[in-house]
Amino acid sequence: MNTRMTVLVPLAALFAACTSIPEQNAALDQATSAVDAARHNPQVAALAPDELTKAADSLRVAEQAATDHAATATVNHLAYMTLQRVRIANDTASSKASQAVVAGAAAERDKLLLEARTNEAASAEYAADNAEKQLALSEQNNDRKAAELANADAAAIRNDARVSDLEMQLKDLNAKQTDRGMVVTLGDVLFDTGKSQILASGSSNITKLADFFKRNPARTALIEGYTDDVGAPSVNLELSQQRANAVMTALISLGVPAGQLATLAHGEDMPTADNATAAGRQMNRRVEIVIAPTSKDVVSIE
Amino acid sequence: MNIPRPIRIATTVMTSILFAVLGGCVTTPVPSAQLAVADAAVQHANTSSTSQDAPAELQIAIAKLSSARQAETNRDYERAIQLAQEAEVDAQVAELTAQSARTRRAAVESQDAAHVLVEEIDRQNHRRADQESQ
Repeated sequence: MNTRMTVLVPLAALFAACTSIPEQNAALDQATSAVDAARHNPQVAALAPDELTKAADSLRVAEQAATDHAATATVNHLAYMTLQRVRIANDTASSKASQAVVAGAAAERDKLLLEARTNEAASAEYAADNAEKQLALSEQNNDRKAAELANADAAAIRNDARVSDLEMQLKDLNAKQTDRGMVVTLGDVLFDTGKSQILASGSSNITKLADFFKRNPARTALIEGYTDDVGAPSVNLELSQQRANAVMTALISLGVPAGQLATLAHGEDMPTADNATAAGRQMNRRVEIVIAPTSKDVVSIE
Repeated sequence: MNIPRPIRIATTVMTSILFAVLGGCVTTPVPSAQLAVADAAVQHANTSSTSQDAPAELQIAIAKLSSARQAETNRDYERAIQLAQEAEVDAQVAELTAQSARTRRAAVESQDAAHVLVEEIDRQNHRRADQESQ
């Protein structure tokens, strides 16, 4: 019996340690409530699930150790490990939440910058619109100027037309272009020898001239009288003056303003033909109407 | 000593078994591996930013590693293992505490920056609106 006891008592003690109720351990209680709190924290459950699982596993080991009546130091150690794993889970979740805030802020910043750029672009577009409008305005101005230029061109063309019209009119009168301007020569057919009376035969030429001056009120003309060399020069000078005056009087009587006309006597000077022949002398008896060029027809007449 | 021989043998065997079982608890191998792991974890955590943002936690880890070494020197290998494991987890806690503090600051800063940006953009928009209305 005695020997049986010596064997059985230590064995019973050994197995008893495995079956009895675990002792209360403050550190283990703390670890249990910490794991529970972490489990019920949605941020930790969502952002640090792996760390939370490790903490829960660690708690299970600690609880098992307590159930197995492990040394208090061991249970305390395992409870401490569990508490630290809970802290790791909490910190990990907190870090990830902050990172999400940073990322969200970055996204928000990008969005804002994009909006700002869009606004800027819209503003630039607005400025471009303005520039375009101003361009359009200046184009309108250009168009208007072009139109003015076209008008001016048209006016120039009309001037040309009037000039050519002028030339056409004067052509009928056998006008010649000279350095002094267009010259219309009225032959001696207008006058009897020694007379300054205009003959009826020359009146059609005089009428054409009168029409010309009335249509071109800006035109001025010098009416120059010439004679042949028959007779005294002083008489011839007087006669040439009288003939020039006769033409001028005839034109005025047909409605040409006197201000457009002036007379000049040349007498027997500046003959256009030989006075030795009758034909030459006839050519020298003449009245020339020199139509002064105006600035407007300098170009087109030259 | 009138104990019968078979019983004596049985007692010897049982006692040997008992010692073997108990001996298993006491003779822990030298925890060099656990200490090496703890040492690495503490070194990894021992950075300027951790000592700035989680100085208390870092100090606990360093002290725990030192205690683990002391326990090893005292041949209290079981305690040395526990302390080494605690030092390792303490080092991780220190690192993560510091990281969480940094990211929290970054979050606050980026939110502030976002507010500043909103204000700046509003200001520019107003200025542009003013210019356009001129």
